[in-house]
Amino acid sequence: MQIRLAGIGGQGVVLAGIILGEAAAIEGLNVIQTQDYGSQSRGGHSIADLIISKEPIYDLMVTKADILVALAQLGYNSTKDSLREDGLLIIDTDLVKPDREYIGAPFTRLAEEKTGLALTVNMVALGYLVAKTNIVKKESVEKAIKRRVPKGTEEINLKAFRIGYEEGLR
Amino acid sequence: MRYPFPVGAADFIQGDEAIARAAILAGCRFYAGYPITPASEIFEAMSLYMPLVDGVSIQMEDEIGSIAAVIGASWAGAKAMTATSGPGFSLMMENLGYAVMTETPLVLVNVQRSGPSTGQPTLAAQGDVMQAIWGTHGDHSLIVLTPATVQEAFDMTIRAFNLAEKYRTPVILLTDAEVGHMRERVYAPNPDELELVYRKLPVNEEEAKYPFGDVHGDLVPPMPIFGKGYRTYVTGLTHDERGRPKTVEAEVHEKLIKRIVAKIENNKKDIVDYETYELDDAEIVLISFGIVARSAMRAVKELRKEGIKAGLLKLNVVWPFDFELIEKIAENAERMYVAEMNLGQLYHLVKEGANGKAEVGLISRIGGEVHTPGEIVERIKNDLR
Repeated sequence: MQIRLAGIGGQGVVLAGIILGEAAAIEGLNVIQTQDYGSQSRGGHSIADLIISKEPIYDLMVTKADILVALAQLGYNSTKDSLREDGLLIIDTDLVKPDREYIGAPFTRLAEEKTGLALTVNMVALGYLVAKTNIVKKESVEKAIKRRVPKGTEEINLKAFRIGYEEGLR
Repeated sequence: MRYPFPVGAADFIQGDEAIARAAILAGCRFYAGYPITPASEIFEAMSLYMPLVDGVSIQMEDEIGSIAAVIGASWAGAKAMTATSGPGFSLMMENLGYAVMTETPLVLVNVQRSGPSTGQPTLAAQGDVMQAIWGTHGDHSLIVLTPATVQEAFDMTIRAFNLAEKYRTPVILLTDAEVGHMRERVYAPNPDELELVYRKLPVNEEEAKYPFGDVHGDLVPPMPIFGKGYRTYVTGLTHDERGRPKTVEAEVHEKLIKRIVAKIENNKKDIVDYETYELDDAEIVLISFGIVARSAMRAVKELRKEGIKAGLLKLNVVWPFDFELIEKIAENAERMYVAEMNLGQLYHLVKEGANGKAEVGLISRIGGEVHTPGEIVERIKNDLR
């Protein structure tokens, strides 16, 4: 299973990738996570790649993604060709105008309205992704969030993840 | 002993972090370094962990000072490590030779980036193979390990310390920016699952007189520790068995250097490590190491699917080099290919090993990106057409 998360710097795309990878590792799956980003701390493209498998993983980068999560148009534009034709596209419906079939929700708006912090968009999108695909269990992600987010931000990140998860179940 | 990271458990961490944790599990308690991409995360992890295990992590003025401090720490009895990349590795070459000459156990990690000079600081390469083996001047031998996964980076770091202690030699862990920065699931064993090696110490006054003599007939002299009761003289000058400078006597130099080389080369069977995949009936043999071995593995699977009898030899140690193994494989192969992220370095060793028994091709890639499996497959299919 090849998953690619794409956005712009500052959206927390790489952290979301690390947390998803950690959740897979918690479940005993093999997982590799790599990243690609511009040198700007904000505004450049930012991509997190994950390959998750029960088998040993030799591949290093996502060549044909099964799932692409796009949180910004710039991220979508630079990665859309890597999504398989029958792959799943998940987008922030406010910020990305795709040219193919998709599912999604206004992740950034949800983050801002329901947690008061647009920065939690990565967790909202991650919750949505997990609810829609069941790649890993909700509990594994929650465990990974507690381990990986900065101390003191666990609650707001868990809240954002659950908001996205609920949205994905609807 | 409590460790500041999970042991007896799996974790999801970067290659650099895995190297730092493994070093601490192997007993490393001294780290000296100078920050450089893509090796800085090793230093960051060491700075965080060392105070928690009663160890030392120190930032030196540069890479020359870093390896010098590590050599000193090793003579004071510590298992010690430094890590760097490209330009820093070049700066360490002189003192690497000092470590060879004084038979100082240490681990030097080179997280390769694309060079020469400042090059592409954030991107991976395998351009330092020959430098790792031959970068320091003069006749010598040492050990170079090449991990392809984060788990291997972890396991080979422990092995690097064991080999350094066993053979009283510097060991280079030659990895790259891809392995250093990627995250994978890694199992860190419980300390009681680990077999750790510690250097031989002199057991009495008599043995301590010959810190550079083959007193046990195994080519590896016992190593006295500063402050533990023996007077010892350590010098980079050619020295006799007692460590006294003897700079013009040909026979003293020849005896010393031949022993230092022989303690590695004569133990090739113990040190060399490799893995094979589908090699038994292979007509096309891919040879690779480090990060590229993963693409080569996938390429072999693809080639087999298309009915081409391909196999893989993945080298986990690139020095000492098993020339005989390569010749044996060449005898049964039609064609061999070396896939590496440089303009051809291991290629030359393989060609020498093949000894004309099989044609040897180079599948080269530079610029920071690892070969895709498809590129390797295409190249081989093109040649077969």
